[in-house]
Amino acid sequence: MSRRSLARFVAFAATLSMFGASVTFAPASAADQVIKIGVDLPVSGADASDGIPTQNGAALAIEEANAKAPAGFKFEMDALDDAVGGVHNPQQGATNIRSLAADPAVMGVVGPFNSNVAAAEIPVSNETGLPLISPSNTNPTLTKTAKYRTSHPDVITYFRVCATDDVQGKAGAEFAKQLGFKKVYIIDDNETYGLGLANVFDQNFKAMGGTVLGHDHITANQQDFKALLTKVAATHPDAVYYGGTTSTGGGLVRQQMGSAGMDPTKIAYVGGDGISDAEFLKVAGDAANNSYYTVAAPDAEKSPSAQAFIKAYKAKFHSDIGAYSANGYVAAQVIIAAVEKAIKDNGGKMPTRAQVLKNIQNTSNFHSIIGTFGFDKNGDTTSPVISLWKVANGKQEFVKQANVAAR
Amino acid sequence: MEVFIQQVINGLSLGGIYALIALGYTMVYGIIELINFAHGDVYTLGSFFSIAIIGLLDASGQLHGLPLFGVLVATVVGSMVLCGMVGVLLERLAYRRLRNAPRLAPLITAIGASFILENIMQLWRGPSPIPFPNVVPNKTWFFGGISVSSNEVLVVATALILMAILQTFIRNTKLGKAMRATAQDRAAAQLMGININTTIALTFFIGSALAGVGGFVSGVYYGSTWFYNGFEAGLKAFTAAVLGGIGNMAGAMLGGFVIGMVESLTAGFISDQWATVAVFVLLVLVLIFRPSGLLGEVLPEKV
Repeated sequence: MSRRSLARFVAFAATLSMFGASVTFAPASAADQVIKIGVDLPVSGADASDGIPTQNGAALAIEEANAKAPAGFKFEMDALDDAVGGVHNPQQGATNIRSLAADPAVMGVVGPFNSNVAAAEIPVSNETGLPLISPSNTNPTLTKTAKYRTSHPDVITYFRVCATDDVQGKAGAEFAKQLGFKKVYIIDDNETYGLGLANVFDQNFKAMGGTVLGHDHITANQQDFKALLTKVAATHPDAVYYGGTTSTGGGLVRQQMGSAGMDPTKIAYVGGDGISDAEFLKVAGDAANNSYYTVAAPDAEKSPSAQAFIKAYKAKFHSDIGAYSANGYVAAQVIIAAVEKAIKDNGGKMPTRAQVLKNIQNTSNFHSIIGTFGFDKNGDTTSPVISLWKVANGKQEFVKQANVAAR
Repeated sequence: MEVFIQQVINGLSLGGIYALIALGYTMVYGIIELINFAHGDVYTLGSFFSIAIIGLLDASGQLHGLPLFGVLVATVVGSMVLCGMVGVLLERLAYRRLRNAPRLAPLITAIGASFILENIMQLWRGPSPIPFPNVVPNKTWFFGGISVSSNEVLVVATALILMAILQTFIRNTKLGKAMRATAQDRAAAQLMGININTTIALTFFIGSALAGVGGFVSGVYYGSTWFYNGFEAGLKAFTAAVLGGIGNMAGAMLGGFVIGMVESLTAGFISDQWATVAVFVLLVLVLIFRPSGLLGEVLPEKV
């Protein structure tokens, strides 16, 4: 045989065998039908200490659901990473949601972690009808406006189990007031989450009688904050409020305060859940002490109903839970419950995504380790929780739960 | 007024770091007309190597006197040598073959080399900022309302001293003369018996060694380092080199300090976000009105 015709024959044979293989393997559904729960979180790089504990929470929920899955079905986790170069990336998030939406076995997605990633993902979720439940997005415009529901403004496909920044920023301002800070300088990272939170803090702190000495923005990937911090030092603040995440500069700003003339032991640092990760302690080093922050989740360690979860988490992952592990767990549970209800209503058949979405939209009185809640008409939780934390002696300590009215 | 002077001091320190990096850019451009985009990452490598060396020497806590001196010398020399070697390696592997290629090829190679170095650093120490060991004691002196810290003095002094040493080397030694000759006319220098390859490798070594010192000094000054620093710092230092007149070493120094000041003063008095914009607007203006840079030779067009 000539070389060319040999090549052609090999190609033909290969194609034939692949076709044959697919034909042989197709009707193998004597096994369980797979229902996938997607997860889209930043699990690599600087944001990993936020994303990985949350993903672990979701993984635990899926594993527990599998132990008592409806007959003929099993749950699988399809976890994707939306971090690029170590930082949460909106474009990557949108790409991930698109690829999850293209897979018909995916019934819902837990994620994303960051509000600017959600801003890119909600339009895709809205267009494809893929339910998206965030454990930690706090920017209010994601649900309270139809800005991101670009295809079907009246269809809610995005939900969250955590409080929003209008609640978190207010709680932060109250916390700062209670701690005795009268003059605060605000810095934010100019991203969706950071800017929104800082603005809410700004408004509320002023309304409560505090003085906001200034409000500045930094750009991502900056290393030198000396000039900005020298300017801040000249205004003699009691505390500096940082709106944003550790990965965009929250840790470095705190670390450089000392060399710009603001002693970290004298001038406190207040922030939101963006600096609630372990990474903040590492990057800010000793300067992390005397920092205070809010988290849009309850401290699961303090909740009796969560103790079983904590034990199971520690046994499976050999580490402590993160600030949003419980939220990730509950978000996955909401999707799973919606799927199970759809299967039941379907008489045991594979549910459609539309059915699952409807069930999620109708979630109410859902008992979970973070409390009993439902979703309101915007997809927000009906029972928001804000916890107050501080960093002392190199460790994160829970202070108390803030008093927030349910909306 | 005091805040202004404080910001000027910030600007000088930042400028010192940019000057150290800009020297490397300008030297390499002067000799082979290549903009070595990987140079900013060699600067970051300098801080990474410094951390590694200090870790190896097991130096912790603040030291004084002889042990401090010993650690400093070992770290500076170590990071200079290591960074110099990285520069020579880059030249040998990436740029030597492309010496006679059209200008775009080595440029793209340099960008590729930059990505490679950045990702190697990211894999080495992770994607988050890394704390720099606090071995150099930082004293602060107060003059009225103005504070000057010894770290700031260290940065500026290091930059000035190294440039002085470099200028002496270029002017008064045979190797320096060889570098100047190669920069002026490569073919003629070769005809005069100068080993071009060695001279170019030496240029890369010195330029990268300076960047290595810059990395060490910036680690001490900021107290931390990050794999991605080199990208922005390199871009601004390149701007500084162009501003001062690329190929001109005094120009690189001047450009470095000017850029540092512009950045600091804009960040301090207008807004942090406009600082980078101001730097690049300045670059554009200089290139429009004085393309050869502030101290560059205005070469007459040969018709």
